[in-house]
Amino acid sequence: MGLETHPASMNMGIDEAIAESVRNGAAAPTIRFYRWNPSAVSIGRFQSMRKEVNIDACRQAGVDWVRRITGGGAVYHDFNGEVTYSVIAPEDMFPKGIRESYAFICSWITDGLKGLGIDSRFVPINDIIADGKKISGNAQTRRNGILLQHGTILYDLDVKKMFSLLNVSKEKISDKMIKGVEDRVTCVRRFSDAGIEQLYESLMKGFTGGKEYDIGTLTEQERKRAEELSGSVYASDGWNFSR
Amino acid sequence: MEGFAEYKVPEGKLVSAKVAYSEKIYSVQILGDFFIHPEESLSEIEQALIGLSPGEEEDTIAEKIRAVIASKGIEMIGVTPEAIAKVVRMAIG
Repeated sequence: MGLETHPASMNMGIDEAIAESVRNGAAAPTIRFYRWNPSAVSIGRFQSMRKEVNIDACRQAGVDWVRRITGGGAVYHDFNGEVTYSVIAPEDMFPKGIRESYAFICSWITDGLKGLGIDSRFVPINDIIADGKKISGNAQTRRNGILLQHGTILYDLDVKKMFSLLNVSKEKISDKMIKGVEDRVTCVRRFSDAGIEQLYESLMKGFTGGKEYDIGTLTEQERKRAEELSGSVYASDGWNFSR
Repeated sequence: MEGFAEYKVPEGKLVSAKVAYSEKIYSVQILGDFFIHPEESLSEIEQALIGLSPGEEEDTIAEKIRAVIASKGIEMIGVTPEAIAKVVRMAIG
């Protein structure tokens, strides 16, 4: 699926609706690329929303929040600052071990970044680094024989904004701390003049290289199911504040 | 009483525990940016610790967790039974 933009709850609903569809044999293994509008913070399955996210600051900034079905950490998905992908396919298409399958899928990201002249490499458990700094974070789940891996590729980085939305103590949001994050995290713009669309196109090449594929869209049934999951699960306080 | 503690797993992720207890542990919540497959099994690990004495040794807590993992075929990434036991112990103090 080509680059689409949705609110946080719908993005998560679409991932799950496609996973159901692939499991039922109604959809082929799927790779999707997406952005988040409004911008949003997603947290890992086992994180505490209130502990990780400054909900008041998000409300004021018009930023959404959502709990993922995957583990991992909190991610700020700025509309102009990153591209997210999902890979949803039967797990027997991938190495059996979860660690090995991270490496397998992440090689498509490093191929995509190479297309923009960016040298990067996978670093276990679930990161990709360029110039020694994190440029992509990834998270995977497997249920009922279906692997779902999604991840973010950072295009631009506004550490101050990110910190204002996450619950980092005020003392920690010092210039030193911001510098610390900037020393550990990087983004495509630090290496390339490519626009976000070009990043997407290059990722698309990296992900689809050597594969037969069609570019498709959600079926009406998948869209309805995604909307249902978006409303009943991913936009609900019951799910988002369950921890 | 209620206690909270955080622990960075060496070469792994951040794990924290919120534990409520009196004579026995009656509520445990394990939080963090680790991975557990299947995800639902974290509740089973939390449940397995309920009813333990708050004075329980770290090794015994870890053994309880290992037993759940073995019986349910759970896979942990970025966290270990020993790390969870450690942070639960730290939360109780």
